[in-house]
Amino acid sequence: MASQSHSLPISTLQNTGGEIAHTENVDQHNSEEELGKRSSDASVFVNSEPMREDQIQNAVKFLSHPKVRGSPVIHRRSFLEKKGLTKEEIDEAFRRVPDSTSSVQTAGVNQDGQLKPSSNIQQQGQPQALQPIVPASAGVITSLGTLSRRHFHWSHALIAVGLLATSGVGTVILIKNSVLPWLKSWLRNVVLEEGNNQFKRTDSKPTLAEEAAQAAKAAAVAAADMAKASQELLSSKIEAKRYFVEVVSLLDKQVKEMKLMTDAIRRLEASGELYVSKQENRQVTQTSSKIQQLIVNGKSGYESQSVRSSSPPVSVQASSAPHPKSYMEIMAMIQRGEKPSNIREIDDSPPNPYQQPSNPRLPPRPKPWEVSQLQNTSTQVLQYQANGKLQDSGENSVPWWQTKNIRIKEIDNEIEYNVASAASNQQAVQRLWVPPQPPPIAMPEAAEAIRRPRSLVQKEVVQDDQSAPHLSEFSNGSNSEDAIEGNIINSLVSSGKIQNHEESYEEK
Amino acid sequence: MPVFKTPFNGYSVKFSPFYENRLAVATAQNFGILGNGRLHVLDLSPDPSLPIAELAAYDTADGVYDVAWSESHDSIVIAAVADGSVKLYDLALPPTSNPIRSFQEHTREVHSADYNPVRRDSFLSSSWDDTVKLWTLDRPTSVRTFKEHAYCVYSAVWNPRHADVFASASGDCTVRVWDVREPGSTMILPAHDFEVLACDWNKYDECVIATASVDKSLRVWDVRNYRVPVSVLNGHGYAVRKVKFSPHVRNLLVSCSYDMTVCVWDFMVEDALVSRYDHHTEFAVGVDMSVLVEGLMASTGWDELVYVWQHGTDPRAP
Repeated sequence: MASQSHSLPISTLQNTGGEIAHTENVDQHNSEEELGKRSSDASVFVNSEPMREDQIQNAVKFLSHPKVRGSPVIHRRSFLEKKGLTKEEIDEAFRRVPDSTSSVQTAGVNQDGQLKPSSNIQQQGQPQALQPIVPASAGVITSLGTLSRRHFHWSHALIAVGLLATSGVGTVILIKNSVLPWLKSWLRNVVLEEGNNQFKRTDSKPTLAEEAAQAAKAAAVAAADMAKASQELLSSKIEAKRYFVEVVSLLDKQVKEMKLMTDAIRRLEASGELYVSKQENRQVTQTSSKIQQLIVNGKSGYESQSVRSSSPPVSVQASSAPHPKSYMEIMAMIQRGEKPSNIREIDDSPPNPYQQPSNPRLPPRPKPWEVSQLQNTSTQVLQYQANGKLQDSGENSVPWWQTKNIRIKEIDNEIEYNVASAASNQQAVQRLWVPPQPPPIAMPEAAEAIRRPRSLVQKEVVQDDQSAPHLSEFSNGSNSEDAIEGNIINSLVSSGKIQNHEESYEEK
Repeated sequence: MPVFKTPFNGYSVKFSPFYENRLAVATAQNFGILGNGRLHVLDLSPDPSLPIAELAAYDTADGVYDVAWSESHDSIVIAAVADGSVKLYDLALPPTSNPIRSFQEHTREVHSADYNPVRRDSFLSSSWDDTVKLWTLDRPTSVRTFKEHAYCVYSAVWNPRHADVFASASGDCTVRVWDVREPGSTMILPAHDFEVLACDWNKYDECVIATASVDKSLRVWDVRNYRVPVSVLNGHGYAVRKVKFSPHVRNLLVSCSYDMTVCVWDFMVEDALVSRYDHHTEFAVGVDMSVLVEGLMASTGWDELVYVWQHGTDPRAP
């Protein structure tokens, strides 16, 4: 029973694979029907793909891996999600792989159960100890093989110790039963030969006695050797047991240390905002060495406000940005357990937790994208509707943060503009602030120029305004449909900065 | 362009959805490692030569990692605090009455807060305790807790068109799409090979999400075909900390990174990088684009400065 149950997880996957595939097909059909219904409800925020069998198979293999069995469920789910599996696929994979926690326990029980019958067999059949022991140890070995490395620690240790014991006892018995008699017979033959030789040379009786003595001596020597051998065997077995226990304890220590490290780094991350990926311990050790490097870099000092670390960013993957020197100082302080001195005790609790909020004085204002919904967004070319429509009659004085609307519109937009102004007139009551009108046409030639192809005009505008003190005049050109022209303007405005920036990036 | 100097290191900046010239800044002492925090509410002055004025400042015992404005009350802000609490402040009440609420349910730091722009009645908080919680102003306890991520949830963002859908970005390298009517997540996007630090929905295409990761890239995804990203935006030198889609331009998004720059991208174009601003001298950690004023953006970083500027202008110009 015990042996059967432990092999069940593997056989289900192999034997009933066909069944599962069949049921999965049925599920797929059902889910597709369901999804067909749901998609008709028109929710785009739901994943409507059918389950992918290949992804589920990969997930099942992943979940069946013994190392994965030991990890928490949330990490397994997170890994599969990162790989792009949907919720349904992940649930299906979990359903196919039997629940990890319960199967581990049964494995442990099975291993113990198998140890006992094997030891029973030993004690019973000593003369035939060889044969029963070998299958017993073979059985233990196969059970080890099938449950290999599933749940480390104690059951494993027990098996190993039991194996050592059985093999030790087995060899002792083997020696006793077969080797010794063979040795004795061999000795006898040797002695007999010698005795024969001696017999030829000397008298029989004294030689017999001598023979006997010699044989006795040889036997004694052999027995002593045997005793020594068995003692050595015993001691080696004890040593092996000791080493094994040591190894197990060392591994436990390592696991604990790794846990402590990950905890410490998690704490550091939380307080220090180092965004580093934490998937493997290898990366964890990389980041801890990185932190040390950063601290070293920070302390080796640079006084200026601008923070550029002299050494290039360390790791390959998520390169942590060079933190300011004072940041590293504060981090170091906190690591030492000191509290920065500028922190005050503040009571920020609400004086009256049931305080009524004051009445709102303004009604909510419609958003630009909601306003644009009122109009036809028939063509996607007209990306730029929002500002065009908000131009009602308004104030004359323009705050600096408003754009001076020298807007270069296409003729097409004028129709939209009229529609827009009509629509927005209805909403004028709600608006407190009304954007200013575009300035009257100062030069009719400019108005005509506006009608001309845009690329020429914009360049002219740029050239004209370069000498003008106000940067805001052509400020919003970049927002127009042509991002390329926006680039031209912006590159003119901030070319120096961009160049400097590129240089500084190349330095790295 | 005006600049505001905060006493602590900046963590997040958000424009008010009610007032064009108002923004809130979340800051934390000692880079947010250990120390107090402060929530600033700033007002821009129409005259650019005048500095930014501080309307209110609230001190907290622990660092404030994120701030969110209420969509229903023009004076309420939500603070995501490093001691695991979510605090509500009412600017219209005197400072001695603030905070009006402190929800202590998360067991670890609360990293982000986001208010529902459609229903305007609820908000989310995401935390390093792997959960996202849903709250309303009137209830003393959370309405729901979403626990599926295997690691810190760095960001939870509502869909701008669907009242019940939101996305969460986590350190377990996935982005999940949730529907509050469903018991669990409805989609899992294996977005990056490293931690995903931020995500945001496209305001004009409700199925497009942008994600920002430690792997220095931004990826834009369409949830209808989420196996392959629509676009991969490379260009940052270090981890990308925040991403926001423009409320006014369909294809524009802005990101800030540990390489101290703020970048504007157009993800539908081959050469996606539209502009790059390197005004910060430490990690650029927070960025926002105004919903009310087109092109107005703000950023903050560990250099304790808050910049507000128009797209296309120089943030450091006087």
